[in-house]
Amino acid sequence: MIKKFICAALISTCFSSCVVVKEYEKVNINDPDMALSEKKCDKNLTTMHSYREAAVGANGGKTGGGCGCN
Amino acid sequence: MEEKLEEAAAATNKTRNLKKIILIFCVFAFAKSYSQTGQDSTKVYKKRVLETTEVDFLTSYYSQDGDNAAVSGGIGTEELTDVTGTFVVSIPLNDDDVLTIDAGVSAYTSASSSNVNPFDGGGTADPFQASSGASSSDTWANVTGSYSHSSDDRNDIWSATVSVSTEYDYFSAGVGGSYTKLFNEKNTEVSVKANVFIDSWSLIYPTELRAPENGDDDDDDDFNINNYTITGNPNYNPQFVPIESSGRNTYALGFGFSQILHKNVQGSLALDLVKQQGLLSTPFQRVYFADVENSFIEDFQLADDIERLPDNRFKIAVGGRLNWFLNERFTVRTFYRYYTDDWGIDSHTASLEVPIKIADKFTLYPSYRFYTQTAADYFAPANKNLSTSEFYTSDHDLSQYSANQFGFGVSYTDIFAKAHIWKFGLKSIDVKFYQYDRDTSFSSNIITAGFKFVMD
Repeated sequence: MIKKFICAALISTCFSSCVVVKEYEKVNINDPDMALSEKKCDKNLTTMHSYREAAVGANGGKTGGGCGCN
Repeated sequence: MEEKLEEAAAATNKTRNLKKIILIFCVFAFAKSYSQTGQDSTKVYKKRVLETTEVDFLTSYYSQDGDNAAVSGGIGTEELTDVTGTFVVSIPLNDDDVLTIDAGVSAYTSASSSNVNPFDGGGTADPFQASSGASSSDTWANVTGSYSHSSDDRNDIWSATVSVSTEYDYFSAGVGGSYTKLFNEKNTEVSVKANVFIDSWSLIYPTELRAPENGDDDDDDDFNINNYTITGNPNYNPQFVPIESSGRNTYALGFGFSQILHKNVQGSLALDLVKQQGLLSTPFQRVYFADVENSFIEDFQLADDIERLPDNRFKIAVGGRLNWFLNERFTVRTFYRYYTDDWGIDSHTASLEVPIKIADKFTLYPSYRFYTQTAADYFAPANKNLSTSEFYTSDHDLSQYSANQFGFGVSYTDIFAKAHIWKFGLKSIDVKFYQYDRDTSFSSNIITAGFKFVMD
């Protein structure tokens, strides 16, 4: 019950506190370094992590398949 | 005379009527064409999803070392080097559709995997020495094709992906698709993606466990155990049972949510669910049992068995990113992920990168990443597993450990892409170096470089 309440509170806070940013205000958001993903040149690094570490996923990288990795 | 006048008047009327008809026709035609022009001029301008063809060339050099090679049962060198080259070509097919081809080749040399057959006659067999067999090097090749379509308002994006990859003992084919929906004036984005990979192994076992009936497919192997002196327990008699199925299927379902929180802050959440079935162990990784007496040839301990792992695995990963544009010079990029699976592994990953714009065209990328995981239920170090267990492995990638990674990179960006190679302008160059150290003997480093070109 407490967990549900915390989740609901977090979600509602996220949505309610967000100000709609207009297109002309997105100069900084559209900066390449603000992208919500790894840079392309880090692709092989992410692949190395998926080979050597047990954890995969939720990072835009491989989630399995294509190699004999973990 | 009167008749002639009447005829002339009639002709004049006809001419007038004809002129009226032509005039009406002209006015109608003009009006029609004008109205069409008017409609054209009110068409909404649609920005192309991708303005021009882009080509990325990505390359890396990776090197690792350690003392816990899985091929030699958790004892031995993990030395490995890998060179990778990848071309990613994105082609706009029209205003809305983009085709992306990703083709890469990776070539590695591995002292560890060379010891699938350590008895190559080139020296004393030793897990800390590389051998010269066929397994000492390999090439991995991959081609992935993606097609994406965006709606006119750019609020809906569909994509489909097909991939094939191959190496000496592994083949994989994959298909996938995704759907992304943007709303709230493109401040909010939700996405769902699904992928299926159908993979298969070519079964290669440690050389001392091979026999014709076990599917020995290593042509260069003329190993005969009777030609060697076995020390330790001389009555080496492993109860090896070959693997029956060589397929591995992976089903992945992913959900994403991203939100602009402020004109300088945005974040995202991701949830990946992965189900794997089939051969999830590696057929050439040895296991040494605690309850079986050790046998050696030269300095190399002979396998009691290969690793055995369940044929099912369910993985859950939840991750989040939060990026903050501090000012014109500094940006802060953060990432956290929690991972768990039904093999008993829990893991946390956290990373921080602070891009620093030092000039119009140059940005520095210092970064730090921390990773920790618990051990799989089936892991035990060399000579610690029990032969009575159903599942066992000494692959230290499945052991408990923590790792620190420090990185530094530099990026050069020329938005005008002045420098040219043929029809392509060089838009950016990225070079990065990462040092990765576990709290065990394992360490690695990687140098990556990316070159981005845009077609004129």
